[in-house]
Amino acid sequence: MKLGMLILKNMRRNVLRSVLTAVGTMALVLVITIVWSVLALIDMVTTEQSRNLKAVITERWQFPSQLPPAYEARLREGAATQPGDARPIDSMTWQFYGGTLDPKNKGFENMVFAFALEPDKLATMMDELDTLPEPEKSELLAAIEKLKANRQGIILGLDRLKMMNKRVGEKFVLHGLNYKDIDLEMEIVGTFPRGRYDLSAAMDRRYLNAALEKYRADHNNTAHPMAEKTLSLVWLRLPDQETFVRVADQIEKELGKANPAVKCETAASGIASFIEPFRDMLWAMRWLLTPAVVITLALVISNAISISVRQRRTELAVMKVLGFRPAQIMVLVLGEALLLGLSAALLSAGLTYLVVNFWMGGITFPIAFFPKFFIAESALWWGVAVGAGAALIGSLGPAVSAQSVKVSEVFAKVA
Amino acid sequence: MDSSQPIVSVRNVHKFFRRGSERIDVLSGLSFEIAPGEFVGLMGPSGSGKTTLLNLIAGLDRPSDGEVWVAGAEVSSMGEAELARWRTRTIGFVFQFYHLLPVLSAYENVELPLLLLPLSASERRQQVMTALELVGLVDREHHRPGQLSGGQQQRVGIARAIVTDPALIVADEPTGDLDSKSAAEILDLLGELRRSLNKTILLVTHDPRAAERADRVVHLDKGQLVHTAVA
Repeated sequence: MKLGMLILKNMRRNVLRSVLTAVGTMALVLVITIVWSVLALIDMVTTEQSRNLKAVITERWQFPSQLPPAYEARLREGAATQPGDARPIDSMTWQFYGGTLDPKNKGFENMVFAFALEPDKLATMMDELDTLPEPEKSELLAAIEKLKANRQGIILGLDRLKMMNKRVGEKFVLHGLNYKDIDLEMEIVGTFPRGRYDLSAAMDRRYLNAALEKYRADHNNTAHPMAEKTLSLVWLRLPDQETFVRVADQIEKELGKANPAVKCETAASGIASFIEPFRDMLWAMRWLLTPAVVITLALVISNAISISVRQRRTELAVMKVLGFRPAQIMVLVLGEALLLGLSAALLSAGLTYLVVNFWMGGITFPIAFFPKFFIAESALWWGVAVGAGAALIGSLGPAVSAQSVKVSEVFAKVA
Repeated sequence: MDSSQPIVSVRNVHKFFRRGSERIDVLSGLSFEIAPGEFVGLMGPSGSGKTTLLNLIAGLDRPSDGEVWVAGAEVSSMGEAELARWRTRTIGFVFQFYHLLPVLSAYENVELPLLLLPLSASERRQQVMTALELVGLVDREHHRPGQLSGGQQQRVGIARAIVTDPALIVADEPTGDLDSKSAAEILDLLGELRRSLNKTILLVTHDPRAAERADRVVHLDKGQLVHTAVA
């Protein structure tokens, strides 16, 4: 029998208490894992990249941004006019088309808000879709090919598809919400890979623009009210920060004071601006909720180990009589807490990862462009590290108390 | 160690405790010795300082003044970690209430002190089985303390005390929690250990029948040695 075995046997001493402590630890690690996954994603997308970064161009003074289509050509070139001007590597425009399947009974489940864009840009410019692993990448490329071949095509997220109770290949009519009187007949040509775009939709912008032209033709050459406000965002891919600064400067000079005026910022900065209304909530999650959960976790473990140490004072004294040194007694108590915290946290983080990502298909927690959140893979180690760390911190007090048990005092009380 | 030298030498030991501003003297200038292989009974009324003296000899407490030497080492000058290591090798402790770890089997309880020594698993097993054989409990090695009678638990406690082959066995009222039959068996066992292994034993007891088994009985009262009698 080794000391590790003794630690294991001590955990079995009061199975109910060990199980309850483990369940408490699991619940708290679950909260930490979810909260930190949300914060980790937001940190990732709001961290400035030094190379291969994206810039987003929007209307300066209005949200949502509604730019005239005439801006497109200049913005996609980064407002470069001279041979030596900086230019983007790639670009993408976004128009938004919102429609409903049932105009008389509008509801979230029958609404579709689609990015209207050039189909090819889905694979080269959209976050996460531009770095897809196989086989998701091939499946998306196949869907894009179908979208290019069928101007009325639409690619839907899996949850959106389920919500609409439709299947790939089915057709439906969307009745325009933000483009009044522009109704579009669509055919589902594919789906987004599971993840960030589960509730999203993407369509070929040529179809929307053709519908706007048809509206003009059908209304005595009168343009649709949205026709001159149809460009929502322009995305640029830039090689480095230096190019971004130059492009932003070019755009500022060209359209910074135009009507409507535009602004160019990095995607990270743009997303940070977009989630500004959630700033207080995110601050509270990071600096209030997370520490509160970690402290609670430490207290739960501290309480359980304290009770255990109090009940075993005589035993600990006996171990000292047998020759166990104070440091060894401390290791036994810390080891017990560590094993409990570590195993409960590992189980919790692992289960949370599997259940949320593969069974639930993410957590619906819409913030800005993020309709859902998934548990980060890194949670598998930092969720465990938090559980183990809190267990160690929480058991430090009881362990010090255990190692300082005075043998003569304990036996005086026993006698 | 020289066999003519006492294995225990208590030299002018004082021990007092403080309760608030009050000083309580438990041992007052106590001196006595135990020869190697001797079986000494320590008797006295409650509060006479028996257990305190036992704790000082076993290195579980320190004297306020004076010296305690055991097996050639001055116990009173050792640090806590050094004392712990010394105790593992030198002292075997038998408790009144056995104090076996309830989550461990008889075998594992006896093995516990050996975990602190640089021994291989097979060496540990050999020593544990020898100790269990000496106390007649080889067939109970897998039993937990809750599955053993009081007498059997005390036998396991004795096996745990002798498994490291210590120079001195100190037993604090080892029969105090047992019926008369089991108590007699335990006293027989201690006597046998002394005879066959030449162990030095210091036995604290209230029971005159237990004290009769000793070579010499030391009586304490109010922290002082009042009488020594050869049994």
